Amino acid sequence: MLEKKTQQQPKKKQQTKSRFDVTDAANTALFLAAFVGIWQLVFMLGIWPKTLMPSPAQVATTVANLVSNSLLTSGIGVTMIRLAAGFVISIGIGAVVGLAMVKFRGFGKTMSSFAVGLLTFPSIAWVPFAILLIGFNDLGILFVVIMASVFSVMITTYSSIRNIPPIYLRAANNMGAKGFALFRYVMIPAATPSLILGIRQAWSFAWHALIGAEMLITTVMYGVERYGLGHVLSVGRDYNDMSQIIATMIAIFTIGLIFDRVIFRKIEERVRSRWGLDQHSDNA
Amino acid sequence: MIASEYKEKSAGGAVMLQVRAVSKVFETNSQKAPSNHVVLNGVSIDIKDGEFVTIVGPSGCGKSTLLNIIAGLDSPDSGSVFVKGERKTSTDPDRIVIFQEGALFPWLTVIENVEFGLKLTGVPKEKRMESASHFVHMMQLSRFSNSYTYQLSGGMKQRVAIARALAMNPDILLMDEPFAALDVQTRDMLHSHLLQIHEATKKTILFVTHNINEALLLGNRIIVLSPSLGNIKRDISIDLPRPRDIDSPELLLLKRQILKELEEDFQLARKENTTATKEKAAN
Repeated sequence: MLEKKTQQQPKKKQQTKSRFDVTDAANTALFLAAFVGIWQLVFMLGIWPKTLMPSPAQVATTVANLVSNSLLTSGIGVTMIRLAAGFVISIGIGAVVGLAMVKFRGFGKTMSSFAVGLLTFPSIAWVPFAILLIGFNDLGILFVVIMASVFSVMITTYSSIRNIPPIYLRAANNMGAKGFALFRYVMIPAATPSLILGIRQAWSFAWHALIGAEMLITTVMYGVERYGLGHVLSVGRDYNDMSQIIATMIAIFTIGLIFDRVIFRKIEERVRSRWGLDQHSDNA
Repeated sequence: MIASEYKEKSAGGAVMLQVRAVSKVFETNSQKAPSNHVVLNGVSIDIKDGEFVTIVGPSGCGKSTLLNIIAGLDSPDSGSVFVKGERKTSTDPDRIVIFQEGALFPWLTVIENVEFGLKLTGVPKEKRMESASHFVHMMQLSRFSNSYTYQLSGGMKQRVAIARALAMNPDILLMDEPFAALDVQTRDMLHSHLLQIHEATKKTILFVTHNINEALLLGNRIIVLSPSLGNIKRDISIDLPRPRDIDSPELLLLKRQILKELEEDFQLARKENTTATKEKAAN
């Protein structure tokens, strides 16, 4: 009887999940409609001049213009490439240093307090340092992005491996798992759920830093200006173009939402359900 | 010397496991009252091939520590462990532990858990799948081959753990209170299951428990550990056929004897404790 029950469980869960998705979509649509409605209302009240508070329709037109003259799309492209490069380098360096911290106890202890300190360090405060040391170029931006996220990856790697329940390691050890096999087949999968959380956080740090750095570090390369989204945003300010500012903000918001909700959340959900971690919380 | 002893004894019923004068002291590193707690004090045991030995004693008598030392997961302060006459100082798939918590890997399915050890030893995929499904079938888990461990009940988890251990084809199964967290009915079921497995595979089993009934029902031989001495209090062979009835007069008598001895031991320990505190107070 018990066995029957356990077999039915996963099916039941899927049903409730898909029903929730429909309500979620309806809620989102309702919220968006209300938001645009209030915006329109504020616009019609005329508290601010139209140039400072454009209507939703005006911003929509600007989005269309920015897409057709490819300022927004190429901006997204440039920003995404920088983000990918910075994030991948951060994960690489962070993982290697994090593993070294696990391997060498003393180094781990010292480095983790140092890294925690740098974790709370505002990433934008790296900008002057990066400009003077590296200059107004892609590498300068990359440096700020890496500094913003690498410590998060480091700490996550270190703590997720150290917090693996010792019973897994003992059992694996007993079955003959040593060295690289232990690392590959036990430590990595055992640490995965918390690694995913940390990588998600690192991504968010990298994203914040990137837009900030792009606003402050204008890059000129081979005589061609390479605009990132942050740059498009600050150009909007330079030209008093509120419509462009809001359009870019919407783009930044949407990218963040897609990454966090769609990509990272999907991975996290899959990992959590496979590891059997979300038996009690389906409403994250 | 040990090797010759092994040969000598192997003439009649080969000796599988030898524990020689194993001692272990735990240091309490509290600054106010640093003290040493002797958990094991020169324990020696010989276990023959195919024996089902239960080690019984109250919590804190060092039975789990002894098991961990035999497994190589813990090292003794002095003394040594021999398997088939060969000295062992580290873990080895010839001695597989079944833990109380099961210690299954939650990221693997039932069948993947069972084949895990074989994967490590480099058995090719097809062969290890064949072997793993054999043991999954033996533990009546075929329907759950592709389930993840969180979908299983406590009893099923322990059955997976047993299948995983058997798949490694160890010389000795070391079981550390494997059924302590289960309800009575499930435990009864697993007891008869384990006896069938012992009958079929003739594996040497060392089974640690604090439950005297469990020890009496399962073992060919019961070793009673004393918490105050850190040593073997009694070593009893039981020739009664299995499955056994816990209410049979023979078992009831044995149970009473064991309980009485443990009670004496307990009082002795308490007396020692009070004198120790008095001494401390006097100082």
